[in-house]
Amino acid sequence: MNVDNVKSQMRKGMLEYCIMLLLHKEASYASDIIQKLKEAQLIVVEGTLYPLLTRLKNDDLLSYEWVESNQGPPRKYYKLTEKGEIFLGELESSWRELNDTVNHISSR
Amino acid sequence: MKKTLTVNLGGTVYNIDEDAYRLLDDYLNNLKIHFRKQQGADEIIDDIEARISELFSEKIAGGKQVITISDVEEIIVRLGKPEDFEDQEDEVNTGKSAGTNGENNSRNSSEKNNETNSNAKEQSAQNKQQEQPYSSRTSHVKQRLYRDPDHKMLGGVAAGIAAYLDWDVTLVRILMVFFVFIPYTPVIIAYLIAWIVIPEAQTAAEKLSMRGQAVTIENIGKTVTDGFEKVANNVNDYVNSEKPRTLLQKIADVIISVAAFLFKLFLAALVIVCCPVLFVLAIVFISLIVCAIGLAIGGGAFIFNLIPAIDWDPIITISPFLTIAGTMGGVLLIGIPLVGLVYTIFRQLFNWTPMGAGVKWSLFAFWLIGATFFFISLSAYGWHWPY
Repeated sequence: MNVDNVKSQMRKGMLEYCIMLLLHKEASYASDIIQKLKEAQLIVVEGTLYPLLTRLKNDDLLSYEWVESNQGPPRKYYKLTEKGEIFLGELESSWRELNDTVNHISSR
Repeated sequence: MKKTLTVNLGGTVYNIDEDAYRLLDDYLNNLKIHFRKQQGADEIIDDIEARISELFSEKIAGGKQVITISDVEEIIVRLGKPEDFEDQEDEVNTGKSAGTNGENNSRNSSEKNNETNSNAKEQSAQNKQQEQPYSSRTSHVKQRLYRDPDHKMLGGVAAGIAAYLDWDVTLVRILMVFFVFIPYTPVIIAYLIAWIVIPEAQTAAEKLSMRGQAVTIENIGKTVTDGFEKVANNVNDYVNSEKPRTLLQKIADVIISVAAFLFKLFLAALVIVCCPVLFVLAIVFISLIVCAIGLAIGGGAFIFNLIPAIDWDPIITISPFLTIAGTMGGVLLIGIPLVGLVYTIFRQLFNWTPMGAGVKWSLFAFWLIGATFFFISLSAYGWHWPY
């Protein structure tokens, strides 16, 4: 087992959760999401984001609208849907449980 | 100095260097392959293109006019290669593709050294620097024997064998010539059989598998652009392609060129002699020419002297003009188809340019005139028509 593999697995699991958390706080453009995720060192390459965003949108957890800009083409402005908010709530409780379990085990 | 293209990325127009464009195009194609199985693949690609477009705008904002290849490389590093996307479920996949990518890389780097075009060299050098080329799926490399039409002298048999064995072409040819002189080795017949049996590599994919290179999008693109450049250069690339030739190789090339020319002449003569129709036509043509010249110079007496046995009286009693015209007409009648056939043969063997439409039509007109005169004089001689 490679430690990098495991790390990447953990990151993969967290990515969707974190994207939805960010969008829950405020709606944003894809490039802003990328920026924040990079700061948190959750993604290394930007390309990881796009298939995820599309999948979440296809599952109706996100929605977007086109916003015109004077410099360049119109951009997608993402926000969480109702279904997404509910989904996020479940993810949050799941995360808290996991957190508690790990803490519990490591403190024993 | 580089050639630039204008490209439309997500609705905005950018000027981009040609080599940068090729790299970007490769990258986008690889992304398409990578995402093809996912739902919403088109949307993902569109999003990525839009992102690249944004990044391009940032580059241009500083007053720069053109997107260069280093810009594209930077962007590819930022966006990530398909292997880095961590969105494939199967880890087995990454293991395998890393393996074949490594294999592909070493094959590519040895093959890439052979590219003549400097732009292609630059691009492939850049590709090598990016650790691995990101062709995510490399197909199984099965090498097949084809005739190579791009490097042929006669039929491309030697070139094809050289491509298969990865030998120098001239070496293969010298060996062939060498064996011609050894008794009991039917080299010429074997060559002709090979010419007929072995298929010619025509498509880009066939040319790649002839050399044992993987059939990836990258390689196909390179084959196609190389093909265009060969046509554009209009030079006999046989001597100029691949690595620069050493003096020994150049001497051998000259010897082989002479030998090939002689062999082609021999083949042309062989075809004319062996093909009965052509042979008969040739004989008739030559005799008609002799007659025509003789008649023009010596008049009727020439014919008398030539073949006294035949009773030439009826012909001679008619006006000499008609006789001459008739003979000339006969020359044209037989000669023009003959010339046409011989020309076709030579065109195949020596790569002559095909006849222009104008030439063909005027030859046809002459042929008609010749035929008319010939038949007019024939009827004047009182020949009985079959009907």
